[in-house]
Amino acid sequence: MKKILIVEDQPDIRKLIRMTLEFEDYEIHEAADGAFGLRMASAVGPDLMLLDVMMPGELDGLQVCQRIKSDPKLKHIKVVLLTARGQARDREAGQQAGVDDYLVKPFSPLQLIETIDRLVATA
Amino acid sequence: MLDLAAADADSAYAPLGLADPAMAQAQLERVTADLGRMYRERNEALRALARAHHEALLRLSIAAEYRDDDTGVHIVRMGFLAEALALALGQPRSWARLLRMAAPMHDIGKIGVPDSVLKKPGPLTPEERAVMNRHAQMGAEILGTSDVPLFRLASEVAMAHHERFDGGGYPRGLAGIDIPLSGRIVSVVDYFDALTMDRCYRPAIADDTALEMLRRERGRLFDPVVADAFLNNAGQMVALRDRINEHRPQFSALLDDEALPLLGA
Repeated sequence: MKKILIVEDQPDIRKLIRMTLEFEDYEIHEAADGAFGLRMASAVGPDLMLLDVMMPGELDGLQVCQRIKSDPKLKHIKVVLLTARGQARDREAGQQAGVDDYLVKPFSPLQLIETIDRLVATA
Repeated sequence: MLDLAAADADSAYAPLGLADPAMAQAQLERVTADLGRMYRERNEALRALARAHHEALLRLSIAAEYRDDDTGVHIVRMGFLAEALALALGQPRSWARLLRMAAPMHDIGKIGVPDSVLKKPGPLTPEERAVMNRHAQMGAEILGTSDVPLFRLASEVAMAHHERFDGGGYPRGLAGIDIPLSGRIVSVVDYFDALTMDRCYRPAIADDTALEMLRRERGRLFDPVVADAFLNNAGQMVALRDRINEHRPQFSALLDDEALPLLGA
């Protein structure tokens, strides 16, 4: 079963994301901030990480993405960024950080599940 | 004018409306759960539809096959042997599985060949040969141009399974790797399996003889790479064929996403 790690600080949104991912058969893990998400990535070895960009704490989603994609042991992990609507700067920065895809909040459940299906099918 | 939203939010019932964040979240979760149910039900319905379509076409293939071979097991062997050969060639498991489901429909176009030609005991006249050879094109047309990968592949196989590597085949006279890989695989498997089964006009040819005949057709009838993959794995191919003959799986084995465990390697 493919493993997905959700890194999102808002519990309500995290729950909606988890419920959406449960449409398919995934093993789902959750982290509430960037630093914990990064540690879980090493510990769990997910196939894909869903990263909220705007998170409090020492690491935001972009920084987590950069660390993942520059670590030889982790860079195979697909990364999907969740960005606030209209944040063109997030997209540019995400591209430089090596992100695999973006989704805009409020997220579309079907778009989320289709994006993840497509990315983990090739993972 | 009354501000209804403000009035509602102020009312004693506010905790039951979406103005209450907990209620909004709970309602969103209910909607998401329902969406998930519909998503799964839709996918299940699509799978059932594709399976019914596949089953109808497989039954039509069997109808065509029964006129030629009264067991119909050839069709089942074609599927599993084509899958095994695709895997021996290092093709992805998912594609090999798709080929297992598609290959049995390769001769579906024979449904359009009259008995006077299909069952003629002696050699065919050039006109009869031309009628017979139309089965490749007819098969591709019956299977149609579909968006479903399975039927697209089946149509490709039907169209290409009588092409020759040296360019002397039909219907298009394609040569070399212009012939789709699916067609190059199925033609090898079809050749070996047809030779080694009993026919009304001759008994089965011995495996060793058939393998030697296959070897001689490297680069002529067949892609040498594909033929070699069969020859190098001949023991495994023959064992798989014998398991199929022994267990006589129904064609429904070809519908299922996973091979029958008893046929597993």
